[in-house]
Amino acid sequence: MSVVAMLFFIVVLLFALLAAAALLTWVERRLLAWWQDRYGPNRAGPFGILQAFADVIKILLKEDWIPPLADKPVFVIAPAIVAVTMLLGFAIVPLAPGLVIADLNVALLFFFAMTGLSVYSVTFAGWASNNNYSLLGSLRTAAQMISYEVFMLLSLVGVVILAGSFRLTDIVDAQRGMWFFVPQFVGLVVFFLAAIAETHRLPFDLPEAEHELVAGYHTEYSGMKFGLFFLGEYLGMMLSSAMIVTLFFGGWLGPPFLPPIVWFLLKTAFFVCLYLLLRAALPRPRYDQLMGYAWKFLLPVALLNIVVTGAIVVATRSPAEVGS
Amino acid sequence: MTTAFYIFGAIAIAATILTITRVNAMHALLYLVVSLLAVAGVFFILGAPFAAMLEIIVYAGAIIVLFVFAVMMLNLGDVSIEQERRWLSPDLWLGPSILSAILLAELVYLLSIGDLGAPPGEPVGAAAVAARLFGPYLLAVELASMLLLAGLVGAYRIGRILDERTAERTSSAEREPVAAGADAPQRVEATAASVFAHDGEGE
Amino acid sequence: MAVPTDAPAPALPKTRGVQRANELAERLEKLLGPDLFPEGARVQPTADGIPTLWLASERVRDVLLCLKHELAEPYEMLYDLTAIDERVRHVRDGQPSSELTLVYHLLSFSRNEDLRLKVPLEDGASVASVVDIWPNANWYEREVWDMFGIRFDGHPNLRRILMPPTWKGHPLRKEHPARATEMGRFELPDDRYEAETEALRFVPEEWGMKRSTESSDFLFLNLGPNHPSVHGVFRILLQLDGEEIVDAVPDIGWHHRAQEKMAERQSWHTYLPYTDRVDYLGGVMNNLPYVLAVEQLAGIEVPDRAKVIRVMLCELFRIASHLVFYGTFTQDVGALSPVFYMFTDRERVFEIIEAICGFRMHPAWFRIGGVAADLPEGWDRMVRDFLKWMPPRLREYERMALENRILRARTVGVGTMTTEEAIDWGVTGPNLRATGFDWDFRKTRPYSGYEQFEFDVPLAENGDCFDRCAVRAEEIRQSLRIIEQCVENMPPGDYKSRHPLATPPIKDRTLHDIETLIHHFINVSWGPVVPPGESHFNIEGTKGAYGYYAISDGGTIPYRLRIRTPSFPHLQVLPLISRGLMIADLIAILGSIDFVMADVDR
Repeated sequence: MSVVAMLFFIVVLLFALLAAAALLTWVERRLLAWWQDRYGPNRAGPFGILQAFADVIKILLKEDWIPPLADKPVFVIAPAIVAVTMLLGFAIVPLAPGLVIADLNVALLFFFAMTGLSVYSVTFAGWASNNNYSLLGSLRTAAQMISYEVFMLLSLVGVVILAGSFRLTDIVDAQRGMWFFVPQFVGLVVFFLAAIAETHRLPFDLPEAEHELVAGYHTEYSGMKFGLFFLGEYLGMMLSSAMIVTLFFGGWLGPPFLPPIVWFLLKTAFFVCLYLLLRAALPRPRYDQLMGYAWKFLLPVALLNIVVTGAIVVATRSPAEVGS
Repeated sequence: MTTAFYIFGAIAIAATILTITRVNAMHALLYLVVSLLAVAGVFFILGAPFAAMLEIIVYAGAIIVLFVFAVMMLNLGDVSIEQERRWLSPDLWLGPSILSAILLAELVYLLSIGDLGAPPGEPVGAAAVAARLFGPYLLAVELASMLLLAGLVGAYRIGRILDERTAERTSSAEREPVAAGADAPQRVEATAASVFAHDGEGE
Repeated sequence: MAVPTDAPAPALPKTRGVQRANELAERLEKLLGPDLFPEGARVQPTADGIPTLWLASERVRDVLLCLKHELAEPYEMLYDLTAIDERVRHVRDGQPSSELTLVYHLLSFSRNEDLRLKVPLEDGASVASVVDIWPNANWYEREVWDMFGIRFDGHPNLRRILMPPTWKGHPLRKEHPARATEMGRFELPDDRYEAETEALRFVPEEWGMKRSTESSDFLFLNLGPNHPSVHGVFRILLQLDGEEIVDAVPDIGWHHRAQEKMAERQSWHTYLPYTDRVDYLGGVMNNLPYVLAVEQLAGIEVPDRAKVIRVMLCELFRIASHLVFYGTFTQDVGALSPVFYMFTDRERVFEIIEAICGFRMHPAWFRIGGVAADLPEGWDRMVRDFLKWMPPRLREYERMALENRILRARTVGVGTMTTEEAIDWGVTGPNLRATGFDWDFRKTRPYSGYEQFEFDVPLAENGDCFDRCAVRAEEIRQSLRIIEQCVENMPPGDYKSRHPLATPPIKDRTLHDIETLIHHFINVSWGPVVPPGESHFNIEGTKGAYGYYAISDGGTIPYRLRIRTPSFPHLQVLPLISRGLMIADLIAILGSIDFVMADVDR
């Protein structure tokens, strides 16, 4: 791609992502309402679809209040971190052959670097708010996200072993024969659970568990700063869905009657909806149960998965192939 | 590329200086993260993307988060800020600064006479790092992991001692907490394990 | 208006109560010596037949200790503790002189009998605290101090509980104004605003709490009064070690609306709508103990049809209330959806209630002597439809909530209470039955014809959050059974008694004879004149035992009306069952207790 085409692509992707995140709020509310015998927002525009934009306008125009006891600079930086890291995360996602901003040879690690950095958003927000609920929320987040990052990484080692590369386009190409969710089903399950915990969506939304911590780390946020947290959450949901599709469900691959990018988007949308369905269906475990589950169940399972995958690869492929 | 290198370098140095001079621990940590990110950028430009990513994931993404975690737990208030401010008086930082300046001068001198400026040959990828670690340096890796294991066991033990104290305190209260007594050790274990599992990742 | 002579005399329970009280008095004298009773009468006859003894204030503790620990078939529960300002009461025949009378209401499960102990006090006198005998006396004594200014010696923390800490005066004393117009203009200048705010600051030392141990500081978390999970305005101050609750201090009174004081300004009839709002999820269920107490006092016999209508509506409201509980409880442990399904079902209940009463949440539809109107045409079809609709839904909820593994992990073994603890703390209703104790006023002391119905009393074993929910889920089924029997066997006849004190009187004969016209005129314009006396009535409400203690001085308004609500003691147990747990557990416990703040604060 030429520089101009690349810039154009970046701008288009950026706007598409922001619009999708805004629209997703509406989709979520409508779907939840549908599953819960309600109507949901159905007034603004056809099917209430303009509700998303009404919300954006509202959130932009709301008073942007900083609590007097807050640590101002950190308070302001915190929400930006999550939005920026999540948007950067999309830079390495291949939407279709050739349609990727940065086809890094360490793309997968870049993804982890970005999710790892997004933790700061929550911890800084909680600390800077100078509010006990926020503090508890961000303590929970720091512990939860750091733990689940471990399994997220471990769960993908199998995929990397099979593909022999950190480059996402290579990983997708390696799935031409068989999508990785078959050989790496255990990895998929662990990754999916860890991804929910990373994006702190229900049932793993303990950092912002409204029944316990009011709104957790973003209790004191309002206006567009709150909007950025919101945006970050939805972007995170889309990013991890896109990663699930890329790593386990063959990315853009699919029968040729639809263009590759459509396949990619359809698959991603499916997993986003799965996220939403989980929210409608499950109660929330307790904080120590969540951590216990991670360290006592997911860790051994993920490690076992690596060992078994490694053993099979070593046993079935020639040493030259493995060594490369 | 050279420009980018110098920009990253300048940011790293500036952020590090700010890290040292901040009186508020949280602000210092914020600058430390920036400094680490800048260093990661330097690595990237020098052709070590794998090292750059590990720098972010391990140092910025995990270890500093634990620092932040600790600072949040400690409930540092105005008292500690005052203390920091006092520590910034010249008679405290003058000595170390002079020694560091001598070191810096020495380094600059060595760099100017030696032939160290050669650009790296080719990017060092993950496979190359892995081959080295599990080839010539296997013993070192194993020793490091033994060390980390010892650390893990130690942390677990410390956690247990703290927990026994908590149990004593609550049981002396009116009523035996039934549920908490049973699952509290796991929580401590989990936190301790999370600290070290991350260090383990870095090896 | 004269007391009607044709009323069936409530002599039978009255004499039985006196007889039991005399027996007990003799037994106590044998055990504790002669000087137990004040000069004058020691036994007081009451309309409700509850044995009532007067005690000398110096010997109260001895008697209570004996009643709880030494007597065979002891009085296990301190059911209620309140006071009466007697200073302007006219009809006190046979009662010893007293300015403020302290009333202990004890409940014996083994005897299935209540006992009322009255202590005559001079204004400004104090009495020994019984917190060490019954832990739930703590809040009751604070309430009596707050409302009447009676001091309790030896109370660990005698401070205001319902009124703000800055309040002047003791509201339930007769000289305290009842209306804003009697109090002068309300103003809130900045300095007073600051003082009021400052008075709410939580100082841990006042509650005997430490701020830190040698190794760590505690975090004090102010949960409420506005918090998503406290179900109303309720504040609980948590002493936390990490996320673990070291101690908790519930702070109530934010929803206090002076229900008892208002009763002293309303006629017997016009007070009815206030009762609806005590447990605002219970609707007409709140009317029932009030009208039953007044009917007992006035000697009104209620026709069968009215009784069955009352039972049916109460059970409908029990279902509605339990559905709210079920939904919000599952929501408190993080499940978002069930609450919507359950509120939809509750809407169906409200449709029936609306068709019958014309109102949804607070119909105030019961009347002294019956109900407000007869059932509308086609009521049974609506109820039958609902009876068919509900069981499969309940099964679905069980699969969705009670059988969910995450929910079970969150609630099983969390917030456990033993039966002994529950009784000690005055816990009643489903919360008591969740500990495995079989006590339901509908079975043990059938009222309003409950003895005619077939239903089971669901029990659980562990008294944890899960059991509290499971018991209520099953109670919904049992209520459906009762309603079905109501539909199938609705008796014909009057919907309201023809007793002259039934209010408003049935009008059909008023235009034919002058006597009923006069009754109608007086009863509607002044309200009924209820004969002097005292009467308490207990019912099995949605959340536990509701008890109304009505005292008439022979006028058109109550002299004193005491409302004993279940949520008040239930909230008091909170620190006991949440110590050592985590915040998330506390939220599950709050949800499982099923309290309504209006029911706590009144």
